[in-house]
Amino acid sequence: MPHEVIMPALGMAQETGLIVAWHKQAGEAVSTGEVLFEVETDKATMEVEAQADGYLNDVRAGAGDEVPVGGVIALIGETAEDPAPATPAPEPAADAEDALPEGHNVIMPALGMAQDTGMIVAWHKAPGDAVGREDVLFEVETDKSTMEVEAGADGYVAALLAEAGEAAPVGDTIAVITAEKPDAPVQRSLAGAPATPAPEPAPEPAASEPAPPAKPTPKQPPAPARSDGRILASPKARRLALEQGLDLARLVEAGHPQPYHAADIEVLKSLPETAPAAAAGAASASRRLVAELPQEGFTAFADWAADSAGLKDPGALLAGLAAASLSRDTATVAVERPGRTTLYTVPPGPFARIEPAKDGAAPDLRLRDLRHSRVVQVELGAEEVPVLTLTAAGDGLAVTLECPGGALAAADTVTLLTEFAGRMEQPLRHLL
Amino acid sequence: MSDTKHNTEDYLRMYRQMVRIRTFEDNANQLYLSAKMPGLTHMYSGEEAVAVGICEALTDSDRITSTHRGHGHCVAKGAEFKAMFCELLGKEEGYCRGKGGSMHIADQSHGNLGANAIVGGSMGIATGSALRAKLQGAEDVTVCFFGDGATAQGLMYEVMNMAALWNLPVIYACENNGYSEYTKTEEIAAGSITARAEAFGIEAHQVDGQDVLGVNALMQDLVPRARKGEGPFFVELMTYRYHGHHVGDINREYYRAKDEEQDWKENRDPIIRMRAWLVEQGIASEDEIEAMNSEIREDAAAAVDYALKAPYPDTREVDMHVYTDIAHACA
Amino acid sequence: MREITLSKAVNEALAEEMRRDETVFIIGEDVAEAGTPFKVLSGLVEEFGTDRVLDTPISEPGFMGIAVGAAMTGARPVVDLMFGDFLFLIMDQLCNQAAKSYYMSGGKLNVPLVLRTNLGATRRSAAQHSQSLHALVAHIPGLKVAMPSSAYEAKGLMKTAIRDDNPVVIFEDKLMYNDKAPVPEEEFLIPFGQANIKREGRDVTLIGTSSMVQVCEAAAETLAAEGISAEVIDPRTIVPLDEATLLASAKKTSRVIVVDEGHQSFGVTGEIASRINEKAFYHLDAPVLRMGAMDVPVPFSPALEDITVPTPEGVAEAARRLMSGEMIHAA
Repeated sequence: MPHEVIMPALGMAQETGLIVAWHKQAGEAVSTGEVLFEVETDKATMEVEAQADGYLNDVRAGAGDEVPVGGVIALIGETAEDPAPATPAPEPAADAEDALPEGHNVIMPALGMAQDTGMIVAWHKAPGDAVGREDVLFEVETDKSTMEVEAGADGYVAALLAEAGEAAPVGDTIAVITAEKPDAPVQRSLAGAPATPAPEPAPEPAASEPAPPAKPTPKQPPAPARSDGRILASPKARRLALEQGLDLARLVEAGHPQPYHAADIEVLKSLPETAPAAAAGAASASRRLVAELPQEGFTAFADWAADSAGLKDPGALLAGLAAASLSRDTATVAVERPGRTTLYTVPPGPFARIEPAKDGAAPDLRLRDLRHSRVVQVELGAEEVPVLTLTAAGDGLAVTLECPGGALAAADTVTLLTEFAGRMEQPLRHLL
Repeated sequence: MSDTKHNTEDYLRMYRQMVRIRTFEDNANQLYLSAKMPGLTHMYSGEEAVAVGICEALTDSDRITSTHRGHGHCVAKGAEFKAMFCELLGKEEGYCRGKGGSMHIADQSHGNLGANAIVGGSMGIATGSALRAKLQGAEDVTVCFFGDGATAQGLMYEVMNMAALWNLPVIYACENNGYSEYTKTEEIAAGSITARAEAFGIEAHQVDGQDVLGVNALMQDLVPRARKGEGPFFVELMTYRYHGHHVGDINREYYRAKDEEQDWKENRDPIIRMRAWLVEQGIASEDEIEAMNSEIREDAAAAVDYALKAPYPDTREVDMHVYTDIAHACA
Repeated sequence: MREITLSKAVNEALAEEMRRDETVFIIGEDVAEAGTPFKVLSGLVEEFGTDRVLDTPISEPGFMGIAVGAAMTGARPVVDLMFGDFLFLIMDQLCNQAAKSYYMSGGKLNVPLVLRTNLGATRRSAAQHSQSLHALVAHIPGLKVAMPSSAYEAKGLMKTAIRDDNPVVIFEDKLMYNDKAPVPEEEFLIPFGQANIKREGRDVTLIGTSSMVQVCEAAAETLAAEGISAEVIDPRTIVPLDEATLLASAKKTSRVIVVDEGHQSFGVTGEIASRINEKAFYHLDAPVLRMGAMDVPVPFSPALEDITVPTPEGVAEAARRLMSGEMIHAA
């Protein structure tokens, strides 16, 4: 069996060796200890001795070739004519898979101010195509703009090293243009390309260089409380709430101070039941719904009430309609008009019984009457109780309901707004 | 050469062991160069007469501690090729189940307490082994191998002091191969190395480390004396390493001339000298020696082949052998 | 039950084990007639002689290395390292040699030795004689680390350590040598890796090592008067660590403070806190707190030294903050 002549590993961190010169020719007799070739690595050149007696055959790499460590570069056989065994590809050929053609390297250009990568939108040339210096080679997208990039050299596309849709780091070679038409043009993707020539022809793909993240966004410390809807609670309190099907958001609504600990779960359990869906609802999201209706209904009703029933305060009427929509026995409603807020207590029964509430009473609902303001649309975010806002909408009226997710289940908000809009449109019918 | 009473078998075994070491190293070198061996390795080639001359004067119950350049000590103390190559390649059947590698081969069945990757790191261990022998009334002797570079470590002087105070059966064997890693010994060692031992009242000798019979003759004298409580002893063995500090140390002309290497290889090689002496004395013919050499070569080639094909340890072994009584340390 | 000092407990443990197993011997500086500066070993040389209670020169790396070699070859040395601070002198022999030998040899060469040393500040000994360096060795796989908190543990753990087949480092608190505790007359051992629940509690777990167990007990007493029920746990060995007991307590009380006299950063407190965080997270009602020694070299002046170590008042105050939920604002 012929002895394999191998590119030796000589340096501490060496992956390839450059053959400087062969001291023996193919077919020449060699004996153990004779200098076979010279190799350069780690800035040193050294002579490598034959490790077997015989004849040098099948020299697969010549002077000037860079060969991976461990690669077979020749054989020492028993006869000068020892035919090369049917080893498929000689090592340098295998190496060529990793090596790139020599030529003009096209790099991913830096186009933006703070750009780390560029995304290749499309290649305008295929491997092997002839290309002129000013021909558009590819399109690149960066910083939200797309631009065409010229080849920059005349010749042939010998290698495309990234595929359309891939982001290549700025400055990386993404194509090679050679003067001569290439025999075997290379086409690779960034994802599949080895980062550097592998130390040995192991098929294991080297880790691809992932495009560096555009910019490391400094991580903000979590906001101290509430502003982002996050509830501060200990891991144990969260676990207990989860196990018992309790919603910590209800503690928030109840105004119980954060952070919550296991002991606060007892407080949570003692809170009165509200809408059964509350526990299931997404506690943090706020809700907003808008209804549109003609405005004549309420205007006519207000006129009639003032003339016929002696109810001259339209604010009380609004409070009454809103409270009725809440389906609650007695409700406190705050009616806000620009510059003035009035709190009403709305008992069951006729509107005549509606009267201003005591100072400091907590409203169950706010009604913001902006029909006569310039405001046409509101999105003020949830407040602690549901808010109904009236705005003009063309000739008609828009009613916007906003409330915290924990305050009303989704279905309940729809009911509330539908009820209120209905009453505003046809107040008398609902009163009857 | 020595005129001590050796029989033919002893001479042939010494020669054979030296060739086994050289052959082992040639194969290890090739494994490294062909990137088949993980890690780093340090060649003992050139120093064979030291390990063999000393270990041939020891029994299996005598202990040695070895160094990063330890393959020679390991072979000389009786280790097998297969388990050694397996260890070099990180295989399950290696002497240390692949957990030690080239720099940590231990073979306690032959009294090898292990190679050590800390220069001078085993001097305490060797001295402790000798203390144990003395305390327990055992007859074994411990040989501490170390290089000239290790004489710069403070531990050596602490333990030699105690060994001398307590007359311990330990022999400090300083393999002076002329170089402390990439530096000439004369640049790192002031004064005389043997004089340092003598300062503690330790009997010290300097001997030609390329003359296996001379080394062995000295040890045949010192080992029984150490057994009788006349130790410790110190021996400086003048020798030479043919390779660089480690296998990748190729560009070494800045510290060592090629002519010098050539001179040692051609004119002072312990194997060539012993071979010539065997033929001259009529102990073996050239043909017999060639047959022995090729048998060793085949033996080594078979062991390499075996080791290359041998399985790696199961990954479940990774947290085994951290503690004697905890099967998996990370479980 | 009779009460004896921690010093006497260690002395008894050594004497009993040396009577039981003649391979056990003590080696270190001034261990024989002097009985160490703390007089822990007084009387042992009279019973066992200078062959088993070996005075060494002031050569810590030397006698540590010798102990490794003796242990590797069949003896059971107990190394006396006069001050824990001298660990830095013996690091190679302890961490590169003793700790790794069993693993590097693939389970062939174990090192059954005990390293007795100490820890503890507030003895007005300044920065080089006051350190608590147990975390340093607990970091190294292959070493076991025991931390007795009273005379009872000192005896039971020492006897177990001597019988262990691995290298064990025992840290005695040098301020506790004269502290008395009930210790049975009859023989007993304390297994490694079994924490001791010193005091049961409901609201907060105080995990303390060595003398910090006393600190935790005193804090628990204060807290009890305020209606806070603290559980106090002594792991007794930090390698191996009885994670199960610590986690069970953490899950029960939901609040944990780990108290240890090593420097707080990168130390034992952080390690234990981290394991509780990883394995009992959803049972925690507050962040696990670490209380270690201040991250400064130990100062000499009493005015400074006393504020560098955890105190019962400090532990109690931390517990109150945990109970009030105050700590979550720091999280």
